[in-house]
Amino acid sequence: MRNQLSRVWTVASKELLDFIRDWRTLVALVLIPLLIFPLFFIALPIFLQGEMSELDYYSLNLEVQIADGDELPEQLIQPFIDNNLNYTTENLDSGLANLSVSGVDANRLRDGNPHVILRLQQTETNSSESWNYAILYDATSELSSEGNSRMRDIIFDWEQEIIGLTLAEVNLTKQEALDPIHWDGDFSNANVATSAQSAGFALSMFIPMIVAIWTATSAIQPSIDLTAGERERGTMEALLCTPANRVELLYGKWVAVGVVAGTSVLFQLAGLLFAVAFLIPSDIFGVPTLSIWSIASLLLSVLLFAVFVVAVELALAVRAHSVKEAGTVLGPIVIAFIVPAMFAQFVNLEGIEWWWFVAPIFNVCLAMREALLDITDLSHIALWLGSSLFYAFVAVTWAARQFQREDLVESIS
Amino acid sequence: MTRTLLSIREVSKNFGDVEALKTISLDLNRGDIVGLVGGNGAGKTTLLRLLCGLYKPSDGEVVFVDDGDAEHPIHKVRSNLGVVPEATGLYARLTAWENIRYHSRLNNIDDKKAWNRTLRLAQALDMEDDLQRQTRGFSRGMRQKTALLRALSHDPEILLLDEPTGGLDVTSARRVRDLVRKLGDEGRTVIYSTHQLNEAQQVCDRIVIIHNGTLRADGSPTKLMEQTNTDSLEDAFVELTQDESREVETPEPESKFQQFWSRLTTGRKQPPSGESPPNGGEVDA
Repeated sequence: MRNQLSRVWTVASKELLDFIRDWRTLVALVLIPLLIFPLFFIALPIFLQGEMSELDYYSLNLEVQIADGDELPEQLIQPFIDNNLNYTTENLDSGLANLSVSGVDANRLRDGNPHVILRLQQTETNSSESWNYAILYDATSELSSEGNSRMRDIIFDWEQEIIGLTLAEVNLTKQEALDPIHWDGDFSNANVATSAQSAGFALSMFIPMIVAIWTATSAIQPSIDLTAGERERGTMEALLCTPANRVELLYGKWVAVGVVAGTSVLFQLAGLLFAVAFLIPSDIFGVPTLSIWSIASLLLSVLLFAVFVVAVELALAVRAHSVKEAGTVLGPIVIAFIVPAMFAQFVNLEGIEWWWFVAPIFNVCLAMREALLDITDLSHIALWLGSSLFYAFVAVTWAARQFQREDLVESIS
Repeated sequence: MTRTLLSIREVSKNFGDVEALKTISLDLNRGDIVGLVGGNGAGKTTLLRLLCGLYKPSDGEVVFVDDGDAEHPIHKVRSNLGVVPEATGLYARLTAWENIRYHSRLNNIDDKKAWNRTLRLAQALDMEDDLQRQTRGFSRGMRQKTALLRALSHDPEILLLDEPTGGLDVTSARRVRDLVRKLGDEGRTVIYSTHQLNEAQQVCDRIVIIHNGTLRADGSPTKLMEQTNTDSLEDAFVELTQDESREVETPEPESKFQQFWSRLTTGRKQPPSGESPPNGGEVDA
């Protein structure tokens, strides 16, 4: 037994040394997972802000079409100028069925001249002032969409002004007329969930997905390298001639790939939690507080998932005769891990049926969700733990069987 | 008195419908340096893989006979084997010593012991200064020598060498041959697979000729020349292997479905039984 463990460790430590020697592997599996979320949370707001302000600076062409006899309301002129809208006025085609019918203006909008069209037609109502309107734009053009957005804001403000004037004529305020049943106090104070709990809830909606995707993808390259790669390079034959039996060799490789994939996932989670704690304003997103049980449960579920995924990927990669063939097989297999993880996000945890915690992939994803929500349900834990161990065992046994194949010494090259 | 160390008893090996080896029997004795000679696809590599337990025989058995005459299946006593495959099988990001140490550890050999032995052998091969270099960028010759050191690091009784001087320069090849002879003199059994008949004649005291999966001859170079009434080992080899040679890839590198798909997409058809395929004697694997 001691000799066997020693051989497994010899294989695992050699493989890890081999990984460490390759700086590209370290960048891909350690540095990128660690930095991706912090960079994302730093870069994304800066990028979005930059893009939005860039659009604000654009001066857009607005054509206002007014029905014959009507005049452009004075209240709109200053907002047009303030919003960088160069407006021209034209007569509204009187033959239109309604103002939304684009008619011949469609092609002009597609050509970008003008960027947006406002159609106005005054109507008679009991209000102080009443208009029909339509804003015509091209949703596939960024400038036209931006023009539409600016126009909607202007129209909204104008409407609020008219409503205020109309209500004032009958001695009413807007709140009295439009909000007779209104919220008292600060809306956010009524939610009893702490910001930490809310953060846990939000994270539970995507951490299992990230873990599933990253575990499946980060294990691919090392799984291929240690199996089909060894076959292709001709190192497998010499290795199989040693006294180490094939199961020991497989276990050694499995430990090495598991360490690499597990480390990669943990680094990514660390990066994500760092970003949540330090890069997102605390009033938007708090830091989840988890009990020791939940943290242990989370880590255990990640570990068992990695064990399972790595064994499956190793078994499939062993069957391939070349790196190319292994890549072709393992690429689509990742989807088989990701899809259930995606569906698991939408399973209701309230009153959840027990069998969800036995279904492969769903079980660990739901376990992660419960851990992040600080839910400790012993029957659920027993179910996902037992089933995960079982799946891991089956996957490793299958991988061991694949490793016994006689043609393992053969390679296409 | 000669003592059998490795016994190959009526061994056959089939890969699907292809008979790669047909009922081969051989006894290899302690201190034998046996040249395994044959053309491409003759079955040399298959036999070597059977000898190191990578393949299981379809029929027959390969056994290791220990000092007490007890017999063991070969795959149970791999620590008695040192193997240099044709591909050498070195890890490019590891140093030569790390490659050697990896295998010696898998053979449960203490690092210090393995290092001392490796250093001594490396001096004989003139590569002691290269042991701490990464094998990436090693020449073919350096790789061969490193693989040889790796195979010897645990002091095995049997050495299986597949084309050990392939790609080596004249001086390096001579060093390897001298080392192999020395190992034979020390009582180790060496199985030396080669295409080079001159080399086999120089190094080996016994030649085994394999052709089309069958054992065609087994004896000293002199005996083979006498047997065939020829003046050189090359002539003896030609005399013993006159029937048309086949070239068989073993085992099947492709699944059945992939074979079918390959035939479909290349337009190849399986030749009828007994008829030569149109590609000059090659049999589809």
